[in-house]
Amino acid sequence: MDIPILISAVHETLKANQKTSGTWGYQGNQGSVESTCLAILALRRQPSIEFARAVHALQGLQNGDGSWPAFTGDEPEGCWTTALAVLSLMPVRHATKPLASGIQWLINARGREARWLWRWKLSRVDTKVQLDPAKFGWSWVSGTTSWVIPTAFALIALQQARQRAYDNTARLTERVELGTSMLLDRMCPGGGWNSGNGVAFGVALAPHIDATSIALLALTGHEKEQAVQRSLHWLVNRLAGCPSPYSLAWGVLAIAAYRRICPEARESLRDRAEELMRLTEGAASIEDNCTLAVSALALEAVNGDGVFEVRT
Amino acid sequence: MNPDRRRLIISAAGVAVGGMATARLLPEEMLLRDRRRRRSRVAIIAAQEYSESLEGVLVSGLREFHLNLRGRSVLLKPNLVEYIAGVEVNTNPVLVGAAAQAFLKLGADSVVVGEGPGHQRDTYLVLAESGLADQLRSQKISFVDLNRDELFKVPTRATYTGLEHLWLPGTVLKSDFVVSMPKIKTHHWAGVTLSMKNMFGVVPGTKYGWPKNVLHWKGIHRSILDICATVPMHFVIADGVVAMEGNGPLHGTHRHLGKIVLADDPVAADFTCARLMGLDPHRVWHLARAAQFLGNGAYDRIDLIAEGLPLRTDPFDVLPEFASLQMRL
Repeated sequence: MDIPILISAVHETLKANQKTSGTWGYQGNQGSVESTCLAILALRRQPSIEFARAVHALQGLQNGDGSWPAFTGDEPEGCWTTALAVLSLMPVRHATKPLASGIQWLINARGREARWLWRWKLSRVDTKVQLDPAKFGWSWVSGTTSWVIPTAFALIALQQARQRAYDNTARLTERVELGTSMLLDRMCPGGGWNSGNGVAFGVALAPHIDATSIALLALTGHEKEQAVQRSLHWLVNRLAGCPSPYSLAWGVLAIAAYRRICPEARESLRDRAEELMRLTEGAASIEDNCTLAVSALALEAVNGDGVFEVRT
Repeated sequence: MNPDRRRLIISAAGVAVGGMATARLLPEEMLLRDRRRRRSRVAIIAAQEYSESLEGVLVSGLREFHLNLRGRSVLLKPNLVEYIAGVEVNTNPVLVGAAAQAFLKLGADSVVVGEGPGHQRDTYLVLAESGLADQLRSQKISFVDLNRDELFKVPTRATYTGLEHLWLPGTVLKSDFVVSMPKIKTHHWAGVTLSMKNMFGVVPGTKYGWPKNVLHWKGIHRSILDICATVPMHFVIADGVVAMEGNGPLHGTHRHLGKIVLADDPVAADFTCARLMGLDPHRVWHLARAAQFLGNGAYDRIDLIAEGLPLRTDPFDVLPEFASLQMRL
C-alpha cells in the first residue's frame, strides 16, 4: 500500500469514529480535546461535513477565558490542550476570534515556577530535581510547574501564530524565547527529553520518544545548538524497531522536519516510514483515535507536509 | 431585636464557630468514618522466581480468602511505570498473567488489566517493551489505558487534599473487584510504593497531567489517602519476588525478597510489606493515617494466614531522608 492510499484509509476510519457531537474520544464515548484537535489536523486538507462539524464542536468547547478543557464535561479550567486547539484552528479561516483569545491565554499562561516564591524554593530548598526555575514554560494543568510536552506544543502554536501573522507582538516573542530556554534547560544529559527534567536525585533520566520528538519539532530553527543535534541523534537511533505506532509517528514527524539539514535524519526517514506504514496498515485495528490521527500526520510529513513544523 | 433572641443567635453562632475551629484542630482521620474491618487477612507466600508455577501458587493462596468471584468482573491494576532494560521496575508480566488466570479459574466472569502510567504518555510502548503486551495477548486478556479512559466525577471520601471530587476512569468504577498489584519498592518521594501508592495509576493524566501533577502539588501522601478512600479496592497481590531498594521507584537496585503478598485489606497489605522490607509502616505518613480509618495496621488485627513475618530482616536501603523508616533491632 502506498502512502496516499494509507492516509486516505486512516481518514476514513477517523470519520467513521467521529461522534455525533463532532468530537472524537480516545476510544470511548467521551469527547477528548486532544483527539479532536489531532483529527481536525489530519482531516484539514479535505473539506468535508465531518471536518466542519469537528471545528464547530471544538469552538463550542472553548472556555470563557480563551483556553480549552481536556474533555467534554470537564471543568472550565484551561489546560495543555489549548495549544493543540490553537494549532488545529489556525487553518480555519473563520476562526479568528476564538484563535485570538486562545493565543492570548497561551501567552499569559506560565508554569508555577514563574512565581518568585516557588522560584526561590526550587532553586534553594527543593533541589532534588535539577532545573533552572527562572526558565519556565507551560504546565499540563494551571497552577503546576512546566513540563516538556505542554511547553513544546505551546511553542509550536505560538510560533505558527506569529508566522501566520495572528500575533506579531513582542510579548509573544519574549514568551517563545523563554519557553525555548526552558526546553533547552530540561534536556537529558545525553540528549532527548524525559517528561519534565533531565536529572533527578542525582540520576540522569532516560529520554522519551514522544517528548523528544515534540520538543525537536518546537526547536526547528535551533539546529545549530548542540543540544538539538544530540537529541536528534538519540531519536534517530531510538526509533529503530519502535513497536508503538504513537511514538513512532511522533518520531517520524520530527525526523521529517530535520531531513533537509540532517543527513542522519534523512537517511533513516524511509525505513521509519515503512515501519510506521506496517503498524498503521490495519488502521481499523488501532482503537485509539489520537494514534490514528498522528500516524496520518506523520505519513503526510514524509510526503513533505509537516503540520507541526515551524518555518524559520 | 428581642435580647433573648439575640443571645440565642450569638450562642448558636459561637457553637458553630467553635465547632468549626475544633474540627480544624482535629486530625482529619478522626473526622472520617471508620471503615476498618474487624480483622484483616494477609498471606505471605514464598515465590523464588517468576515462572508458570505462580498460577497454581495464586489459586491456592486465593482459595484461603474464600472470595466470591462467581460472575464478577475483575480489574487487575499492576504497577507499570516505565521500561528500563534489565531493571525490574514494573509488576512482573508473568505474575500479572498468573493472577488473571487464577481469577478466571476461581469463577470470575471477566478479567481486564488497566493502568495509567505516571510519566510515559505512550502506555502501549511501556506495555510492549515490558513484555506485558505479549503476556496478555497470549492469554487473550484485554488491557485498558486508564489515562485515556472515559472519566466520571466522583466525590472524594476523604479530605486530605481539599479536592471535593476526583475524575476517575469508568473501567475502574464499573469493575466489581479491583485488585491492586504493586511492585514492592522504595520511593524517593513517598518512602515506599505499595498497594495504596499504586492506585495513583488510576488517576487520569489527561485531567491531572503527567505525572499527575495536580496531586503531587496537593501532597503525595495526602493524595494517596484521598484516592484510596474514594476508589474501590478489594484485594492486593503484591510482587515481592524481586523488589527494589534505594532510589526507587525507577533507579533503585534489585532486592530478591522471594515473596508474594495477598491481602483483603490494602492497609494491612502495605503494613505487612513494609515490615517485610524492614521499614516501620507507622513512620510512613499515609500508612500511619490510613491505619486509623481505612484499614488495619496493628499486628493484633491482621491474621497472617500463610507464612509469618521473619524474626529478623535486613532493612531495605533507602535514601538518606528516609533513614528513620528503617527498623533496627
